Amino acid sequence: MKFKMSFIATVLCVLCVVSESIVRSAASSPQNQFLGIAPEDEKYYKSSEVIRCKDGSKKFSRAQLNDDFCDCADGTDEPGTSACPGGKFYCRNVGHTPLPLFSSRVNDGICDCCDGSDEYDGKVNCPNTCWEAGKVARDKLKKKIATYQEGVAIRNQEVEQAKVVMAKDEAELAKLQNDEKILKRLVEQLKERKEQIEKVEEKERLQKEKEEQEKKEAEEKANQGNGAEDQEKTKAEEEAKKDKSEDVENGSAEDKPTESQYDDNVGILEDSHSYQDTAEYHDDLASKDGHIHTPERKGSLVDGVQQEAVKQKKESVATSEPDFDGGSKVPHDEGNDASEKTESLSKEELGRLVASRWTGEDTTKESGEVDVTKDTDHVDHEELRKETHDEQSDGYASETDDDNQKYDDDEVEEEPDDDFGAEDHSDSGSSYKYESDTDSDLSDVTTSSNPSWLEKIQNTVRNILQAVNLFQTPVNQSEAASVRKEYDESSAKLSKIESRISSLTQKLKHDFGPDKEFYSFYGRCFESKQNKYVYKVCPYKQASQVEGHSTTRLGSWDKFEDSYKVMIFANGDKCWNGPDRSLKVRLRCGLKNEVADVDEPSRCEYVALLSTPAVCLEEKLKELQHKLDLMNKEQPQGHDEL
Amino acid sequence: MPQLFAVAYHQCRWNYRDDEDVAQVDSKFDEHDIPYDVLWLDIEHTDGKRYFTWDRMLFPHPEEMQRKLAAKGRHMVTIVDPHIKRDDSYFVHREATEKGYYVKDANGNDYDGWCWSGSSSYPDMLRPEVRSWWAEKFSTENYVGSTPSLYIWNDMNEPSVFNGPEVTMPRDAIHQGDAEHRELHNVYGYYFHMATAEGLVKRGDGRDRPFVLSRAVFAGSQRHGAIWTGDNSADWDHLRVSVPMILSLGLTGISFSGADVGGFFGNPEPELLVRWYQLGAYYPFFRGHAHHDTKRREPWLFGEKNTERMREAIRIRYMLLPYFYTLFREANTTGVPVARPLWMEFPSEEATFTNDEAFMIGNSLLVQGIYTEHAKRASVYLPGKESWYDLKTGTAYKGGKTHKLDVNEEGVPAFQRAGTIIPRKDRFRRSSTQMVNDPYTLVIALNSSQAAEGELYVDDGRSFEFQQGSYIHRRFVFADGKLTSLNLAPGHTQFSSECVIERIILQGLSTGQKSALVEPANQKAEIERGPLLLYSRQGPTVLTIRKPNVRIADNWVIKIF
Repeated sequence: MKFKMSFIATVLCVLCVVSESIVRSAASSPQNQFLGIAPEDEKYYKSSEVIRCKDGSKKFSRAQLNDDFCDCADGTDEPGTSACPGGKFYCRNVGHTPLPLFSSRVNDGICDCCDGSDEYDGKVNCPNTCWEAGKVARDKLKKKIATYQEGVAIRNQEVEQAKVVMAKDEAELAKLQNDEKILKRLVEQLKERKEQIEKVEEKERLQKEKEEQEKKEAEEKANQGNGAEDQEKTKAEEEAKKDKSEDVENGSAEDKPTESQYDDNVGILEDSHSYQDTAEYHDDLASKDGHIHTPERKGSLVDGVQQEAVKQKKESVATSEPDFDGGSKVPHDEGNDASEKTESLSKEELGRLVASRWTGEDTTKESGEVDVTKDTDHVDHEELRKETHDEQSDGYASETDDDNQKYDDDEVEEEPDDDFGAEDHSDSGSSYKYESDTDSDLSDVTTSSNPSWLEKIQNTVRNILQAVNLFQTPVNQSEAASVRKEYDESSAKLSKIESRISSLTQKLKHDFGPDKEFYSFYGRCFESKQNKYVYKVCPYKQASQVEGHSTTRLGSWDKFEDSYKVMIFANGDKCWNGPDRSLKVRLRCGLKNEVADVDEPSRCEYVALLSTPAVCLEEKLKELQHKLDLMNKEQPQGHDEL
Repeated sequence: MPQLFAVAYHQCRWNYRDDEDVAQVDSKFDEHDIPYDVLWLDIEHTDGKRYFTWDRMLFPHPEEMQRKLAAKGRHMVTIVDPHIKRDDSYFVHREATEKGYYVKDANGNDYDGWCWSGSSSYPDMLRPEVRSWWAEKFSTENYVGSTPSLYIWNDMNEPSVFNGPEVTMPRDAIHQGDAEHRELHNVYGYYFHMATAEGLVKRGDGRDRPFVLSRAVFAGSQRHGAIWTGDNSADWDHLRVSVPMILSLGLTGISFSGADVGGFFGNPEPELLVRWYQLGAYYPFFRGHAHHDTKRREPWLFGEKNTERMREAIRIRYMLLPYFYTLFREANTTGVPVARPLWMEFPSEEATFTNDEAFMIGNSLLVQGIYTEHAKRASVYLPGKESWYDLKTGTAYKGGKTHKLDVNEEGVPAFQRAGTIIPRKDRFRRSSTQMVNDPYTLVIALNSSQAAEGELYVDDGRSFEFQQGSYIHRRFVFADGKLTSLNLAPGHTQFSSECVIERIILQGLSTGQKSALVEPANQKAEIERGPLLLYSRQGPTVLTIRKPNVRIADNWVIKIF
């Protein structure tokens, strides 16, 4: 009786208040008891009446499967409800791609599965959009596969070419190293001979001077009393002396072994610069080729190198300028103790000073630069630069979508490899023009004509050395000249070879990827224009942000990361109040080398995306094809994709 | 009374730069299955620090951006400060100038001070007509680009004037009725907060509770919104001091307060950030924030382990949302703060008087922060005569003594006081919005007399209907082997909920009861061992009444035997 009463009570209750809750709790458990289970797991759930939690913690009955109550903390018992936070709901999404969802998405009022299976409690109606969405996804995937197919082909070509060119580079290096050895010996010999000649000449000169002195003294005695004439003469003599001392200086410079002289200069360069500068130096030499052959040019060659060094130093100052720039842009009355000085500050200055408590900017030095707008100095620079450079940047910047983009002229001149970089990679015939350029640069040293230039030199030197008679006085002027000329030419050639060796060695030292697929990146730059900035990404060198004529270094080449999917540029220009700038370039398969989406998610930490065939990997292509196969297989019958 | 979403987790940074950044951060929360309710935009979202405007380069489609968030039940907050840029083309400045609404300087001219917007003036918020003019600015028509899911942040409302004396307005600045600023400085920010909150109420035709966070605070600020403790630093000391600051605010009536999680200035080490999330999850106002110059610090950026820890911290907050919301209701009606010093709950225990490193959330939960690096152990004083149950392990500790506890990086110590019942929601969603229909868990910690009590307050979470009695308010009493749900709401309540209690956890039960009977339905429910925490795979198991499925809206009794 008691049972019956309570039963009636229950019925009443259902009728009055609880009816909805009963409906709801029925709706919260899915009608299909196996909802949310991945096909590969179905056996696990269907094989017995008592099912084990996958983590082994306990067992549950078939009735507890998807009963909207979490029994297993790992969610094994609730694949189709939101009861276990650790669970996963499997959307079948027939016609599209199956999708495992966090169980927190089940019956949350938001349609997540395109087949609508995640929302079944009747609160929202999720139409099945899998067919349409799936078609879009399949088309997208097909496009991606097409890109990969073409990309893989391009990549294979590039890998092949890289192998060839690298072998060529290596062969050249070996040959140059051999030549260097021989040439060094010849230069030594010539130098020795030249010094001997100079010794003799010096002797002759001193002898002559002595004679002249004696003659002069005799004349002076004869001409005593004529003051005016005397004065002028003294002046002339002094000048002559001065000339002489200069000669001596030059002479003594020439006395030094040329290699060491060269080395010194290279040392200067290397102190402040990385290998590229050496390459530039090399290029500089190459461009001065014509002059180098003339013996008088030697002094200026050294000058040229030094000038180059100075120029580069200046440039590096110019590059880091933006940081100082901001600070010095608006002069500000100094005050080490800001609080003491506040009274003497103008209203605006005080405002900026206080703002700096939030912005953290050093107003005692930089208050002029502090933007009241709580902006970073970076943005300040942007604004400042905008004011200064707007016009230039408008005229200056060009669209850089094109892979074949030429860089600004200075850069082309300075970078020997640039022509190579500017070649279309797909035009395999000419894309490695860099090599032939070099050949022409060094044509006199590298072409293996018959007899080779080296043999020629060797012969000439032998002839000269034999011909010059050191014991003949006075020295035969034409013989002496030819020794000097030959010495100058040979040492110039040696310098060129050495710098070429150094640039090749530097180049070959780099990590070009497991298949050398990044070999073609060497010496190239990729650009992207975003609003007022042009971003330049030069693998193995550096990355920069250019606005008009001001360049901010985002980083120097560091390394690849994440199995060659990311390029890291580190230690760029320092950020005001922040870290040194850095750039992370994610690589994505694409048919052209293109930089896009440069972004700065954290202050001064930039990220960019580079599409390149170099990362179009065969395995990934297979993976995508497999995915497409699966998607096609999942299609409901009766639909024809085509 | 705050809206429910405002009690959940807020994600802020100076600044999320553009709508793409917003979309990306939003989707990352989903990708990592971390709930959050509000995404904040700091001053850089404006057109040159002109509040109520957008930098259209960065945020070309603000309505669409807010709608996308709202589709996931999320909200957005933008900043609106009192310094008005003196720019004749700026409508707020033009209107305020024309109407003579600005505070005057000693010479009777519009006071001109320097702030983020450069040369700026300040509306005289003491004048009711200025406040109502200001309030109008928040209508969706006037605030172009705003939608009903947008709420407001008032900063710099002390008011901050960068070039003023003591970084504020000169004392001889003139307000309404020739009152000098010196006389009313402390209420300026209060009135500004009030006017903004009124604006949001007006915007929603009086049906939508406002949410306004303010930095300036005065007696009564609790009526207008939340307060945060200002620009702190990513230092362990600032983590430590956040607790006494919040407790003091609570004692002055300002319950809804919190410190910037992670520390505003500087880059927190991952350990500090994790600890801050673990503690901040118990702040009444729970917001992660960061300075412009700091590295990104969203919870997924510090490796899988740390992501896991921060996710757990945030999930604990979401799990406890019903409890927090109930406490906010208590604060709303009685003024008793949500976060309380220990001595407030244990006034007879001297040992609690100086303890400001631990605190109570309501009367049931004690939280001990970890304020040092590489902490391996912590001394925790657990007051009272009754036991305390570790929130995560379920382990019972004796009251009235200091325990030396092992701590790990997985969480800060937190304990449920024996004799209390805490309502939870154990399912996590993208945001609190999707949790509305989810079932409850009751965690009963029995005291030495095998009794416990607790409350649950539920309303629609957003409107003012609760003021007319539209809410569910239950008292759960466990005694004599019976759990009873008693109604505390008025009889005429219009609010109902289909939500049920899916799980009742029993801690400290001395005898081996096997099953439960639900009355009046007269249904049996099983008692078995189940996980204490659903999200924790290695967690302990505890006695659980499985699926009693009683509605929170109903009267019922559950007998265990």
